[in-house]
Amino acid sequence: MKVMMNTGRTVPQGESVERKHSPEYESAASVCFIHPVDMMVLGIEDGAHIRLSGSGGSVVLTAVASETVEQGSVFVPLGPFSNHIVSGETHCTGMPDFKSTMVEIIPTEDPVPSVAELMEALGGVRYAH
Amino acid sequence: MLIKDVVCPFCGCLCDDLDVEVENGRIIRVDNACTLGSKTMVGDDRLKAPIRRDGKGWIETTYDAAIEEAAQILLDADRPLLYGWSRTHGEAQGIGVHLAELIGGVVDNTSTVCHGPSILAIQEVGHPGCTLGQVKNRADLIIYWGCNPIDAHPRHMSRYTTYATGFFVKDAHRDRKVIVVDTRRNESADVATEFVQVEPGGDYAVLSALRAIVRGRGDVVPPSVSGVSREQLVRVAEMCKNAKFGAIFFGLGLTMTAGKNKNVRNAIELTDELNRHTKFIISPMRGHGNVYGTNEVFTWITGYPYAVDFSRGIAFYNPGETTAIDILRRGECDACLVVASDPAAHFPKPCVEHLARIPVVQIDPHPNATTHICRLQIPGSVAGIDAAGTAYRMDGVPIRLKAIIETGVPNDTEILQRLYNRVREAKGE
Repeated sequence: MKVMMNTGRTVPQGESVERKHSPEYESAASVCFIHPVDMMVLGIEDGAHIRLSGSGGSVVLTAVASETVEQGSVFVPLGPFSNHIVSGETHCTGMPDFKSTMVEIIPTEDPVPSVAELMEALGGVRYAH
Repeated sequence: MLIKDVVCPFCGCLCDDLDVEVENGRIIRVDNACTLGSKTMVGDDRLKAPIRRDGKGWIETTYDAAIEEAAQILLDADRPLLYGWSRTHGEAQGIGVHLAELIGGVVDNTSTVCHGPSILAIQEVGHPGCTLGQVKNRADLIIYWGCNPIDAHPRHMSRYTTYATGFFVKDAHRDRKVIVVDTRRNESADVATEFVQVEPGGDYAVLSALRAIVRGRGDVVPPSVSGVSREQLVRVAEMCKNAKFGAIFFGLGLTMTAGKNKNVRNAIELTDELNRHTKFIISPMRGHGNVYGTNEVFTWITGYPYAVDFSRGIAFYNPGETTAIDILRRGECDACLVVASDPAAHFPKPCVEHLARIPVVQIDPHPNATTHICRLQIPGSVAGIDAAGTAYRMDGVPIRLKAIIETGVPNDTEILQRLYNRVREAKGE
């Protein structure tokens, strides 16, 4: 299923943003709000894992049913999870398409990674605080 | 000990009415803050010493050794990028700009990934704005466009708009109308007088339609514009024209979607149009506590608000070319100094991949996503908690941040001054 990904602040993400190694932050930032009808089309339940792939890359997130997003679009809190999908193209403005990236969604059994695992995959070295 | 009138450093509201209780050098309670501010100040979790990458692990190091290593990394670089700055005080930001000039680097701040496009629009057509105090005391119509203050600026409505009693707005809940324009029915829409739901990417067209209606050319507007009916657009335009004082606050829903700076330009020009009928202002909802300050400090030193490139020996500014995202996407910079921000969390993956390939030094007290990809992290104190300094509120009002606890940790100004002195000494200047 192809949908438009929007990203932005949520209260749980903002509350824990200075503690990015915490389970609270990781669970707050790694969710994908999706319309219940789109979940039915995908054949998934609330809490299922889904893989989102966009022009910048792909990442596994937890699906959360929400009627505040329209069918055909999803909302993901801003942060390292949503940014794993966004490309660096700015169209000469300096600003990436954080709120308007087309993504392909498929159900998956893969686990949701941690922030440290995302950074290790890019060549970083995990710091255990 | 109870400390009153403390300024919260979290977001651009810089709420200055917090009551903070301190016991044994720790903040144990915060009253009046929103949950974002409260969680920022209580239970602050920080590095206890500088850390450096050592093979496949990490070791603690001293401030002296860390500053020496950071200086060498910057001295060895041909195209260094100095990025961040929005969660520290203006004094540190100023040294950062001078350091960039000294090493011929690029200095950019987090507005590059928030309201950079708004700045581009303001440079084209100006900024009809005012202070939040004027809005609180006078505005009887508020428009939140492409933003969700309940989640991102939780006290904006209670301190300045929807629920704030003002000098000329005695009964805010009855006297003030609120319009929310967004692509999704967010939490702020639930308290709005009127919710306008725009199809994704449709803001520019809706703004243009409103401009036409306000201009008296509603006849050219089709029955539906980007999912919004002409009837609703006419109703919104009438609400705006009939207001005594209107205020548009806009967010990243305009700057990060198709059109970007042109969306903001159109919103400013709608404001201009409305001023033919009544008083209207427009202002961006700035995110980080002192992101507005970065624009002020950069501008008064270099003439430009962000994305300043000193590689030519003079200040050069060309967003789209000298902006951090573009420099990283092109794989151009060969070292990066990150101060008081977390680009590994908030930059697109291809940019973070390049950061992971080059030496990155981070000055920040918190272990964050950038920690895993940097070579060296130097913790400083936090502006507004254990460091004093100047920050700018989202409406451009400078506010003094207090140090409310004493930790003995050097502040960002001290760390950067030592780094600047060491680089200058090594360059023989």
